[in-house]
Amino acid sequence: MSFSNYKSSRLAALPSTLDPAEYDTSPETRRAQAERLATRARLKREYLLQYNNPSRRGLIENPALLRRTYARTTNVYPNFRPTPKNSLMGALFGIGPLIFLYSRCK
Amino acid sequence: MLKMVFSTIMLLPMTWFSKNNMIWINLTTHGLIISLIPLLFFNQTNSNLINCSAHLSSDPLTTPLLMLTAWLLPLMIMASQYHLHNESPSRKKLYLSMMIFLQISLIMTFMATELILFYILFETTLIPTLIIITRWGIQAERLNAGTYFLFYTLTGSLPLLIMLLYIYNDLGSLNIMFLTLTAQKLTSTWSHNLLWLACMMAFMVKMPLYGLHLWLPKAHVEAPIAGSMVLAAVLLKLGGYGMMRLTPILDPLTEYMAYPFLMLSLWGMIMTSSICLRQTDLKSLIAYSSVSHMALVIVASLIQTPWSFTGAIILMIAHGLTSSMLFCLANSNYERTHSRIMMLSRGLQTLLPLMAFWWFMANLTNLALPPTINLMGELLVVTTSFSWSHITIMFTGLNMLITALYSLHMYITTQRGPLTHHITNIKPSFTRENMLMFMHLSPIILLSLNPSIIMGLTP
Repeated sequence: MSFSNYKSSRLAALPSTLDPAEYDTSPETRRAQAERLATRARLKREYLLQYNNPSRRGLIENPALLRRTYARTTNVYPNFRPTPKNSLMGALFGIGPLIFLYSRCK
Repeated sequence: MLKMVFSTIMLLPMTWFSKNNMIWINLTTHGLIISLIPLLFFNQTNSNLINCSAHLSSDPLTTPLLMLTAWLLPLMIMASQYHLHNESPSRKKLYLSMMIFLQISLIMTFMATELILFYILFETTLIPTLIIITRWGIQAERLNAGTYFLFYTLTGSLPLLIMLLYIYNDLGSLNIMFLTLTAQKLTSTWSHNLLWLACMMAFMVKMPLYGLHLWLPKAHVEAPIAGSMVLAAVLLKLGGYGMMRLTPILDPLTEYMAYPFLMLSLWGMIMTSSICLRQTDLKSLIAYSSVSHMALVIVASLIQTPWSFTGAIILMIAHGLTSSMLFCLANSNYERTHSRIMMLSRGLQTLLPLMAFWWFMANLTNLALPPTINLMGELLVVTTSFSWSHITIMFTGLNMLITALYSLHMYITTQRGPLTHHITNIKPSFTRENMLMFMHLSPIILLSLNPSIIMGLTP
């Protein structure tokens, strides 16, 4: 039988058993998958250890969340570099409306 | 007036000589008693100043702000109790002394008759705020925040000093009563244009105007709760107050000199409101919402119609109370989860239902729900800016929409939805916290019943 006509959509991903790429993967891909699974499992184990610890008194710190928040709030400008898209957005949304308003209100 | 200034000065010895377990009780009680005194100033039948002395006076523009400042001191003291309870007594007393020193300078700033006295006290308020932010803030970014705060404001206000001295030389007196009578109309020469700019820049930085607002999110986020409260509620209003004092003498130039600032404010309202929708940090959201509301006040102050001044004053009072309440709520979340990330403290309505009510009321007043005074102020400002130029309604209307969006986003994220499972240590609400929110909300509700007392110079 050929593979089923199930196609993935926006809210339903293709399960890995129906994906033809799952069945002829190289050892490197397998190794990468195993590594990712090991990392995920390690993080999950740490989380569950803290979650089920009866003498825990606070929240569980999620270092990824903290890094993301830091990057979004405080670390924006040190990594800023003017690119064409950046400059266009700045001119369009930062300076354009001011000029437009000035010309209309004058 | 002396009742207020001397009582507040005497709070300083009371801090240092109180027994360690009586500091909070003494200061809060006496702060509340002092806050009753500006109520005596409210009964003014005309817009002449209540002349308390040769140097300090109080008029219908000043009195609401004075009342706000006086009311806020006991609230700040109540809010700081938790994060200071592990510190040594002398450090606690030092923190409270900083707050009281700030309070003294603020009371005298709002009551100053001479503009030079106003300027000196304006600068004096920077120092205790800087100390509160940099010493008692929590993260390492507070040093950066303090630097931005101090130097932005100082750079803006040094030209103001030069201009005030020049005007003093020119007119002979900087008394507010005489200023409109003896001022001469400015001509459109280059030096008079610079005079206008120099006078206004200090207040633009303080308000803050959109292009110069960079210090505000940093300072608000890094400050401890009392610092955030006083910054949002009172220090921003110093800018508005200063602008309203100085615009009568800067008269004919304001018509064309104000355009860049009006454009920046109108566009800045929308930009900062939109940024609020993308914030992860709760205090940062409230800080940007402050910039957005203050942009409305800038628009109102620069248009200079009677209704817009009224709208500006009402908006300043309303925003002071609302913003301070939001910061207290954010702080109550922070004390429990030790993180300012909004997503970490969601679904709180099931755990803390009364606090959910305060959150609800704070967000409703933030989005200017009728019949609160927030709406009164915004309505007056929107109406007058529409009559000034028809196109502004696009921006102010869009701003009101986006304000509603982010206020509801804040409410829904923190209160509704499922709880986070891994946070097991959310303590129930303290009576102190509920009292704090009630004391923020009740002036808003009472003033909504009678806003004519805060309507300022032209009721």
